[in-house]
Amino acid sequence: MPRTVILVALSLVFLLVQTTIIPHLAIVSIVPDLVLIWIVYVAIAYGQVQAMTTGFLLGLLLDVLSSGESMLGLSALTKTLAGFLAGYSYNENKIAQYLSGPQFPLLLIAVSLVHNLLYFLIFLQGSDLRWDETILQFGIPATVYTAAAAVIPMFAFARHYRT
Amino acid sequence: MVKRVYDIIVLFKEYFLLAFYIVLALLLLARNETDQVRAIRSHLLAVAGTLQDVVGVVPNYFTLREENHILREQNLTLTDEINRLREARLENIRLYRLLNLKDRPSLPYLSAHVVGATSQSLRNTITIDRGRKDGVLLNMPVVTADGLAGKVSTISGDYAVVQLLLHKDVRVSARVERSRVNGIIRWTGGRSLQFANVPTSFDVQRGDVIITSEFSSIFPAGIRIGVVSGKRAVPGALFQAVDVTPAVDFERLEEVFVALHTPDSSRVAIDHRP
Repeated sequence: MPRTVILVALSLVFLLVQTTIIPHLAIVSIVPDLVLIWIVYVAIAYGQVQAMTTGFLLGLLLDVLSSGESMLGLSALTKTLAGFLAGYSYNENKIAQYLSGPQFPLLLIAVSLVHNLLYFLIFLQGSDLRWDETILQFGIPATVYTAAAAVIPMFAFARHYRT
Repeated sequence: MVKRVYDIIVLFKEYFLLAFYIVLALLLLARNETDQVRAIRSHLLAVAGTLQDVVGVVPNYFTLREENHILREQNLTLTDEINRLREARLENIRLYRLLNLKDRPSLPYLSAHVVGATSQSLRNTITIDRGRKDGVLLNMPVVTADGLAGKVSTISGDYAVVQLLLHKDVRVSARVERSRVNGIIRWTGGRSLQFANVPTSFDVQRGDVIITSEFSSIFPAGIRIGVVSGKRAVPGALFQAVDVTPAVDFERLEEVFVALHTPDSSRVAIDHRP
């Protein structure tokens, strides 16, 4: 099966899991961002172009699924940027090393922080919520939860590449 | 010349692609409320809702046992409450007749299953398996047995997205059930709501029940919103800060009811008359 088809199929699966199963893992309304983990994986394994495209399309679908607030395009924007930034880590000879080592969650922390900062900066325009408080209350905990969740695939990759 | 341009594009393809996606995203952000965008959104929601409906079975299966237990307990409590309410209702009808007041019609409700949810990045919305074909319209209130959950924000033929009360754009005209003090319910982050625009001298106590008021043109009056969990005076401010714990547990939403309520058009017209 062509690589693109597999990537698209897996992207849709992760989007569905994010909107159906992941909300059940919420800790005080903070959930891990599975879509972002997937984008960072695509960035490390396939490069910047694929990661940006995945980020844009998945972000757009997320926007549609949580629409009604005049913010269609916001997740598409922030997740494209996340894919672009994560794509700098792409190195054909170090894919296994990055995916199975601490580089994966560490990169995710950096990308997630930038993603959340930009997201809330735009999202909170015209709102009563304060940007700095929101980042502390939601942005940073979401980053930590997402990075913690990324440890699971990291160990899975470590095991996979060892065998 | 053409080859040179092509070479430049290939060399910097990542940056061109980034610029393209950013421009596209910004255009979407700027043109959110056009009919075309609404139509695309509606079609995408129909596809995504169907897929979510299928995948959503998985978490439901795991929570079924616990849900059964909770429902059995609720059943007992509610049976008792219904008996008491029946008496109160009859008394209420008698009093309404005595006072010759206009009675409030009871609302028809449409049950719906939650097939998807977005609670990340402050976008607290759910997707339900009822849409335009079932008579659901934009801004219809959505409730649970516990109280007000939110309002419909996007619809397709078979599915709808509901903005929950824990959403920065949702405001509800509300009042204290006991003292009839009016205010506005809004979300300011976290798990609680804020009952705003209440002067410091007004009677609001911890434990007071907050319900929707007649002032709202979207939500019918009398729906439970939550309970006052605390209040504090803000130095130098005319209004007090009143925290409200929502009646609805937003993390356990599985079945909701859409109140098939549309605002009285003549009332809206007179409300908006200059």
